[in-house]
Amino acid sequence: MDQSSSFEDQLMALLPRLRRFAHGLSRNSADADDLTQATIERALRSRDQWQPGTRLDSWSYRIMRNLWIDAARSQSRRAMREAPEEEGLAVGQDPRDAMDAAVDLRRIMSAMSRLPDEQREIVALILVEGFGYREVSEMLGLPIGTVSSRLVRGRTALLAMVGEQ
Amino acid sequence: MTDDEKLFAWLDGELAPEEAAEMDARVAADPELARLAEQHRKLGNRLSAAFDPIARAQVPEQLLAAARPSGHVIDFQAAKRARRIPSFPQWTALAATLAVGIFVGTIVQQRGSTPIEVQGGKIYAAAALNRALDTQLASAPSGDVRIGVTFRDRTGEICRTFTETASSGLACRSNGRWRVNGLFASPEGQASDYRMAGGMDPNLAALMDSTIAGEPFDAAAEKAAKAGGWK
Repeated sequence: MDQSSSFEDQLMALLPRLRRFAHGLSRNSADADDLTQATIERALRSRDQWQPGTRLDSWSYRIMRNLWIDAARSQSRRAMREAPEEEGLAVGQDPRDAMDAAVDLRRIMSAMSRLPDEQREIVALILVEGFGYREVSEMLGLPIGTVSSRLVRGRTALLAMVGEQ
Repeated sequence: MTDDEKLFAWLDGELAPEEAAEMDARVAADPELARLAEQHRKLGNRLSAAFDPIARAQVPEQLLAAARPSGHVIDFQAAKRARRIPSFPQWTALAATLAVGIFVGTIVQQRGSTPIEVQGGKIYAAAALNRALDTQLASAPSGDVRIGVTFRDRTGEICRTFTETASSGLACRSNGRWRVNGLFASPEGQASDYRMAGGMDPNLAALMDSTIAGEPFDAAAEKAAKAGGWK
């Protein structure tokens, strides 16, 4: 990333990816965009803590992940954990619909929302966002073996939920 | 590393070349392992196919606005949406609501006149801004207000972008008046930069993109729309 461009420009350029990560963590698109907005606001307020020359993407992803975890611990969490009935029902419906990316997104988000948080964030970072194991280990402050074993459990559970289609 | 971990690390391209070659051979020799690898490869592709369109889609203007606080963004539609029951920390929506109030106040004071008026929670163009929207053609600028682009929005109403001394925005016809749907105060001293670059405030551009149906009017269509009373 161009280090000479401003913090705000760099953050702006990251928004599409941050939104995608938010969708990987959230139950639905509205929650994902709320999470993205909260992340932007926190990043702007904390910009002094970012060291120019280091990766803004990892830093921003970490902020998003921490906000998500905080929300997860808050009381509203119980409601968030349970996928709404309609979304739950959509999982495993007619597989021909799986060709439709939007429909499939709902299914996959619903399935991912049933993974334990610690597996879900790793599945999102590695399988959706394309980070390497080492990068995720540094981002989350976890040993690489932990990242690797959570990834195995997460993707195995996900495959069992959404099947092969 | 367990066998499963090794298989996935291989799938993800995380193994050193030597170990990867070893795993190539094992998978090739073991149909059960090959099947598992294939299932997970498909799962990975499916996740990408489902999520990647989000990263390619236009970012909602509400989020673009949040990322540019120095632009003193006022997007009334986004603020309205932000007020809908926030499921994420409530201060997010609260802050957005407060910000709108503060910035409107600032603008009105800075100008010394009131180019907008608020009625029933809606914001309408007033005074010089209203006159410019009613009468000015993009090809014939005069006064402090410059008209940019005229177009029809997705509900069929005519909308016009405008630039003023310290702000730019979008107004659309609503019951015979110009309702201001977005107003973006330029950062101090940067108003002319945007115009010099020949470009539009990026927030305004994003708002326009999300509103426009079809193409902007050409000069003839703009003139005809004026003659027709902007209907």
